[in-house]
Amino acid sequence: MNFKHKYLFLLPGLLVLLGILIFPIGFTVRLSLSSWDSFFPGLDFIGLENYTRLFTDDPRFWESFQRLSFLSVTTVFLQYTIGFALAHIVWKEILFQRFFRVLFLIPMMTTPVIMTVIWKTVFHESLGPVNDFFSLFGVTPLWLSSEALSKVTVIIVEVWQWTPFMFLLLLAGLLSLPKEPFLAASIDGAGPIRKFVYVTFPLMAPISIGAIIIRLIEASKIMDTVYVLTSGGPGTSSETSSFYIFIKGLREFQFGYSAALSLTYLIIMIISLTIIAKMLVKLMIRS
Amino acid sequence: MTLAASNLTIERKDEFYLNNISFEMSPGKIYTIIGRTLSGKTTLLKTIAGLISQDSGKLTFNGNDFDIIPVWKRQVAMVYQQFINYPHLNVFENIAFPLKQRKLGKEEINDRVKQAIEQVGLVGFEGRKIQALSGGQQQRVALARSLVKNANILLLDEPLVNLDYKLREQLREEFKKIFSSKASEEAILIYTTTDPVEAMQLGGEVIVMDEGKILQQGSAKEIYENPITTKVAEITNDPAMNLFKGEIKGKKIKLNSKIELSLPKHFKDLTDGHYTFGIRASGITLAKSGFPFQIELAEISGSETFLHLGQGQVHVVGLLDAVKNFDIGETVSVIFDIEKLYAFGSDGILMSSPYSGTK
Amino acid sequence: MRIFYVTLKYTAVTLWSMFIIAPFLWALSTSFKDFNSVTGGATYIPWVDFEPTLEGWRVLLRSPAQGGVNIVEPYLNSIFVTCMASFVSIVLGTLAAYALSRFTFKAGFIKNDDITFFFISQRIMPPVVLAIPFFIMLGKLGLLDTLLGLVMVYVVLLMPIAVWIMVDFFNKVPIEIDETALIDGCNPYQAFFKVVLPNSIPGMVVAGLFCMIFGWTDFFFAFILTFTEVQLLPVAIVSLNSSITPWWSLSAAALVSVAPLVVVAFIVERYLSKGNLSGALK
Repeated sequence: MNFKHKYLFLLPGLLVLLGILIFPIGFTVRLSLSSWDSFFPGLDFIGLENYTRLFTDDPRFWESFQRLSFLSVTTVFLQYTIGFALAHIVWKEILFQRFFRVLFLIPMMTTPVIMTVIWKTVFHESLGPVNDFFSLFGVTPLWLSSEALSKVTVIIVEVWQWTPFMFLLLLAGLLSLPKEPFLAASIDGAGPIRKFVYVTFPLMAPISIGAIIIRLIEASKIMDTVYVLTSGGPGTSSETSSFYIFIKGLREFQFGYSAALSLTYLIIMIISLTIIAKMLVKLMIRS
Repeated sequence: MTLAASNLTIERKDEFYLNNISFEMSPGKIYTIIGRTLSGKTTLLKTIAGLISQDSGKLTFNGNDFDIIPVWKRQVAMVYQQFINYPHLNVFENIAFPLKQRKLGKEEINDRVKQAIEQVGLVGFEGRKIQALSGGQQQRVALARSLVKNANILLLDEPLVNLDYKLREQLREEFKKIFSSKASEEAILIYTTTDPVEAMQLGGEVIVMDEGKILQQGSAKEIYENPITTKVAEITNDPAMNLFKGEIKGKKIKLNSKIELSLPKHFKDLTDGHYTFGIRASGITLAKSGFPFQIELAEISGSETFLHLGQGQVHVVGLLDAVKNFDIGETVSVIFDIEKLYAFGSDGILMSSPYSGTK
Repeated sequence: MRIFYVTLKYTAVTLWSMFIIAPFLWALSTSFKDFNSVTGGATYIPWVDFEPTLEGWRVLLRSPAQGGVNIVEPYLNSIFVTCMASFVSIVLGTLAAYALSRFTFKAGFIKNDDITFFFISQRIMPPVVLAIPFFIMLGKLGLLDTLLGLVMVYVVLLMPIAVWIMVDFFNKVPIEIDETALIDGCNPYQAFFKVVLPNSIPGMVVAGLFCMIFGWTDFFFAFILTFTEVQLLPVAIVSLNSSITPWWSLSAAALVSVAPLVVVAFIVERYLSKGNLSGALK
């Protein structure tokens, strides 16, 4: 279908979005070519100096990037596995089906930063209930101040917060599946495990890919949780890219440099998400 | 009040959706377009409605340029093969929608909608939600909505194809009745179908389409008797006309080393040589002292049995006027009714038919 | 085998339910505590483990002058910003999604899919990237620390969600419905408003719910782009988290902030069970 006023539908949204974004994006590009910081605020021009520094002399950025990759891949994997299991369970007949469905959605409705504040009290090393439980066995793990465990804590909180989103997308997908393939499998005498492997999982592949990509996009922005739980610590051991950019830009006020970080980060994200999407499509379609 | 098309063409990526379509249609008649799926039937209807615009060629209505009139101002109505209605409106509101759009008076709308509802046999369903209707009822609503407008051109795109067999038969009869009264009101009716039986039953003018082209146009009888090419013969018969290569030599038709038929009278003017011969399933049946064929498949349809038969390179479908079970691979004796043979040239063009002799 | 499966199933949902509920129960218990019952180590059951007090809840309603935090105003601000931004996003997003689903756009190598991707790709942008330029832009426009400024920023955050859900939704509405409307005498605007829109309410509700969820739960932009004049709920609550953390009022505030979205969870579940969501998501 085609008609000449089609732009009247598209343009309001597109222009508003472009209008609000064009300055921020243009400005970020320009800013990344300047040395604007709290000592010398101003848009001077230093060429690609920020980028040279970033690629040759900033291991902390690349470490934060590795950490982010680790954290987001781990959390999304856990969210997907748990979310799929839960969705699969409440998809079929189960007592209190609606109660469980509502309950399993609730964490995603809560503000991450607020719930993280609560989680911080839960994991409080001397006054929280978690260590109250562990002290029964005579140990008090350092949930927030040990390098290894602080990452685990971040993962636990992220899984709590966002598994529901995965659960929602996957359950919506399961509920929209056609019935015929399942009937056919039953007639062929397939048990629940075979049914899952040969029918449910392949049918869910496109939906799974969509859900995983969406979650990876959102998870790569991990920020609130880290900010409240550990502030990137101890040291820089739980610092993610977003948080590092935040520190450079809004704590140390190196605006120019943080703009260069932002753009580099953005480009890497877009490229890697595209690659991941393509890989997932191949992987899931083949199986 | 004629609708005329000249050289309508739509081409996308080297593929023709419409290829040089020309026709002239006048009111009071049913035009049945028959063609396989993707032959361009729907594209043609949408072009007439104005939903698609052609790349080249011209549509005129009453001698006036039709192309400059947008869809919503053309006096057309259309029924789709999917049951398309407005899900948020009830039956009455659905049918009244086009009239409200024309800003007619409330009483006139009421009268006309009532009349349309009676015509399609939905009295008592006025307040129903569309989702609460069966497929057949939904299609009746769509038909009523297209009738109520008294459009100049009524387009029906395989309206019965998604209904089950019995309902299809019943609705087709009703449609025919409605159309005959409707047609007298000076509307051009265009009906598409893939089903030869349907095309023949509706009567009127038949247009055979394939790959975006019109292959033949004429009365149902004309097309049945004289399909001008092998393609038309395939499309307009169900099961498709049997076609096989053979040779006329002396007074005989040789199909292969084992099958030799004598030459029917209407072939007498054909010169010796190679031809493609055609015969409908009804011209092939079982009888003693025929040719030995193997049963490849036997399909029972109502009180008849369709037999898929094979012998060497020759595979044909025959018709037995009874219900009988066969074993696959069983050898039977088959005869050909030579008075029903068609002959086509090697280019596929009709050379001789049982009804009009040799051209 | 079957018994094993059923046991496993119920064990799994029970454990997960406990995991979900745990922080809420802890917050509920904590909200009735005071300084002494917090610093003495972990306590759980009121009257048994500690003497309950309503102090944590009272603080929320008291003005700052009286040593309270008054979360009523941030609460209303949050509702206003979320609803306004969701509304604008849905209106503009629905129109754009309809255009992208129905009409063909082509400008050089840019086609419909690319425009859709442009909309959705805004979600890839981490808030930090935009925070500084937004800060400067809103400052120049005099919109820093105002509700209008926040609504603007949130529209960027939410419109991609609306476009994503609505493009999928419209792609599943048969185009023949639009065509029938055109044939029945509607011009394209009337076809959209009289026929397509009334049948798109389920999709718009789902898109609206998602916008509300992501708007309500944002913290970072509100944190960077407001100071004193306008405060949104998450910022107000986190700002409680100063040197000496008042666990009790923090917990009470957290519970208050979660409450309205629990209603949303019920609505989402209803749509899910009716099967509307399956059509609108995916």
